[in-house]
Amino acid sequence: MKTAIVLSLLTLAWMPVRVAAQHAALTPQDSAFHALNRLAYGPRPGDVPRVAADGVMPWIDRQLAPERIDDDRLAERERQFQILAYGRADLAAMYTEEQRERRERKLAAAADTMADPAASPIAQRGRRLAGEFADLAIVRAALSERQLYEVMVDFWTNHFNVYVAKGADRFLTPDYIEHTIRPRAMGKFEDLLIATARSPAMLFYLDNWESVAPGSVPPAALRVRARPFFGRRPGLFDPMHDPARQDSVRRRALERMPKGINENYARELLELHTLGVDGGYTQQDVIDVARIFTGWSIERPQQAGDFQFHDWAHDRSEKHVLGVRFEGGHDMDEGIRLLKLLANHPATMHHVSRKLCERFVNDDPPDGCVDDAVAAWRRSNGDIREVLRAIFHGPDFWAVENVRAKVKTPLEFVVSAARAVLAQPDTSPRLAQVVARLGEPLYLHVAPDGYPEREAAWVNSGALLDRMNAAVALAAGKLQGITVALDSIVSVGDAEQLIGVVNEKILGGAMSENTKQVLRRQLAGINDPTQARALVVGLAIGGPEFQRQ
Amino acid sequence: MTISRRVFVKSGGLALFSFGLDPLFLARAAFAVRPPASPSDRILVCLFQRGAVDGLNMIVPHGDPIYYRERPRIAVPEKDVVDLDGYFGLHPRLAALKPLWDSKSLAAIHAVGSPDATRSHFDAQDYLESGTPGVKATSDGWLNRYCQHDREHQDTPFRAVAFGPQLPRILAGSAPTLAIDDLQAFGLRAPQPVARDRLTRAFEELYAGAATGLLSASSREAFEAVEMLKRLDPGQYRPANEADYPRGKLGKALLEIAQLIQADVGLQVAFADVTGWDTHVNQGATEGQLAGRLGELGQALAAFTRDLGERMRDVVVLTMSEFGRTVRENGNSGTDHGHATAMLVLGGPVNGGKVLGKWPGLDAAQRFEARDVAVTTDFRDLFAELLARHLGARDLSAIFPGFMPDPARFPGAISG
Repeated sequence: MKTAIVLSLLTLAWMPVRVAAQHAALTPQDSAFHALNRLAYGPRPGDVPRVAADGVMPWIDRQLAPERIDDDRLAERERQFQILAYGRADLAAMYTEEQRERRERKLAAAADTMADPAASPIAQRGRRLAGEFADLAIVRAALSERQLYEVMVDFWTNHFNVYVAKGADRFLTPDYIEHTIRPRAMGKFEDLLIATARSPAMLFYLDNWESVAPGSVPPAALRVRARPFFGRRPGLFDPMHDPARQDSVRRRALERMPKGINENYARELLELHTLGVDGGYTQQDVIDVARIFTGWSIERPQQAGDFQFHDWAHDRSEKHVLGVRFEGGHDMDEGIRLLKLLANHPATMHHVSRKLCERFVNDDPPDGCVDDAVAAWRRSNGDIREVLRAIFHGPDFWAVENVRAKVKTPLEFVVSAARAVLAQPDTSPRLAQVVARLGEPLYLHVAPDGYPEREAAWVNSGALLDRMNAAVALAAGKLQGITVALDSIVSVGDAEQLIGVVNEKILGGAMSENTKQVLRRQLAGINDPTQARALVVGLAIGGPEFQRQ
Repeated sequence: MTISRRVFVKSGGLALFSFGLDPLFLARAAFAVRPPASPSDRILVCLFQRGAVDGLNMIVPHGDPIYYRERPRIAVPEKDVVDLDGYFGLHPRLAALKPLWDSKSLAAIHAVGSPDATRSHFDAQDYLESGTPGVKATSDGWLNRYCQHDREHQDTPFRAVAFGPQLPRILAGSAPTLAIDDLQAFGLRAPQPVARDRLTRAFEELYAGAATGLLSASSREAFEAVEMLKRLDPGQYRPANEADYPRGKLGKALLEIAQLIQADVGLQVAFADVTGWDTHVNQGATEGQLAGRLGELGQALAAFTRDLGERMRDVVVLTMSEFGRTVRENGNSGTDHGHATAMLVLGGPVNGGKVLGKWPGLDAAQRFEARDVAVTTDFRDLFAELLARHLGARDLSAIFPGFMPDPARFPGAISG
């Protein structure tokens, strides 16, 4: 640990020199373009000269204080999204209603073939809501002035992944993003970690809501016989009146009752959310973490109830995690204490800092970047802004070898393309569908690790062809769900002018000589100026330069 | 010519469009040491019955009175069952598969499933695809890990293909795999073929000239695949032997799989989803919902084997599902989530004409948690056998981490 501190002090001391060297290598335009690619979802036309003129470092500092950035235009757009008008209980009620309808329809149906579940109203409605919700993420990423904030929302959504198609997470996820992730995306890591641990969406996704101390029985279960059906009294022809049936209902209710600890959340908390897979914990640690979280549950999950601590389910004996003793009998406080311990553990600082450096600097992040971030984490007690500031002020962020070193993720590609042509996405899920087609559907990564930060996960032949198709459709104004106004960006001119403007405004001046030649050849036979412009823009956005950031 | 990628060997003319081999491409091609002829031509087709198929009404234990006692409304009547071995029989709507049973190229594995007890579709599908029951954090699927570890097998863009709009978890991972929703639409889209060719060429030139790293290799594979498909002209494909694929997604997927197999583009692993098995309500018996789904499955598989004809010598089709359903019917004439199910294997290499696996019995005492068919074959033993004995995989422990596949436990699905 001592060495690390000394090293980071050394790094700090060297920083100004190394930064100065980099600024010599990157022109103000290049620096602005780089920062807009990494801290934002790519530049809109005009952004690069604007940021370059105002100074890239002041722009970065402004992005680090999103609450001071006016974002009224986005707020106006957000009002078009119905999903934001619904609370999670509303969504749960709609879901239950649709489920009941579906069941009744099936009971009545005597069809030979079961309807394709994908076409059933329940799936359609779920898909429509998930679609609007996914599209909201795209609209925010594309239109928000608080670009870094939106990038961080995506980062944490992925880090604290939940899967929207798992049971109650269909209606819990929107609330999770709005009220758990978004308010804390630029705050303290510890607060974010505790909020996710208490969130119904995470409790459901990683099964902790069903994790109980072995042998514990909920008070309600003992009342099953007395009140068989939610307080409804048995009627004359009520099947519940039949004692045998009543017994079987009770038996089934008891069978369904959770019978012991579930290690799922405990394991992912250590492995993915905090310490990392090499974070030095043991299987016994996982078990004791699970015991600490017994009783962290949800009040009526099928109705999207809130977090609830079930003291009857809590394991009251002593636990040990990472050599730290947790005296029994402290109920929820044990979990809070553990989360604080984990949030400020050196392995966590390293694991999460490394992931941030992967996201912002390089798929294989330089050690110096990680060390800078860890040092800032330690100084600031895990203030996410300070960790980010250290990364953006560090020399590695600006090193020439890290510029354009990353390939855009599907989301980054789609949003940066939309921004490049000043496109206005509507509330339809079309753009979200493009992101899905490119391989990373929003909120639909099934495993708790979230989408990987490395390019091998999304660069493949099928997805590349789909990027080209999306680019061509976008430039031709044929991508549904989005309005493109090329006129305001690229005026119609001769081939050389066209290529020059597209290079400057869309590719940040990175267009290769080969690309220029290919574009010239392609333009040779085209007389219609609008068609020529669409072709050049489509090829530029679908081409290799635009895939990088 | 040192490049031994299957595409160049198998269809020499296609080498014309290879260009500018950079070192990365050569590094990838270096995996492609040509193996001995036989396992390299072998193909595994996996159909995932998503939603948990009722194994007991697919491969019916009609010799057991408990089956009839527990399912008064949804049991397939004895007279309708297509008997296989006196005890088990096919659901009547799978009758099209009986000739394959008779020719010993169809086997069923009963009481197969996951060692994990979950009855959640979400978890169980996840485990079936990751191949690591009980471990959630596995990021790739077992079919992809097979492709990662047996890379000396020829590398073609079509080696591992999922037929559907998105890559399923089972094929996700670092080895290159492809999701194809529609063979005819694969590639650049443009209104006319001329415009399409022109656009394809333009992008091909852009990427050949300016792409680096993985972008370069992947784009080359993409244009290779586009070119191969163009020559294939999938729109012109006519199934052989008057094979009659049912309409719908499954029939289309199997037809396209057959097409790629016939075209010799190096397809080794194919995958498709078949949905509609979650029969909680009005499941039906000889007729009804499940019968409808099984009818489509039987007809599609029969058409596929007829279409491929002799080529089935090298092909194994596997059906799989995340779990089975309760032995006893529920109050809605359906079945709820259970444990073990039945899987089918068919094709030339199959040790057919048998119901494999140890049958645990339907007596309450023999059931899992007194309600479901118990698992006597870990699905990984079946999958491992197919990978090892059919596709020639060697490093099974890397494909199923934390599990020691043991040939002594293989159910015996592959002959000789």
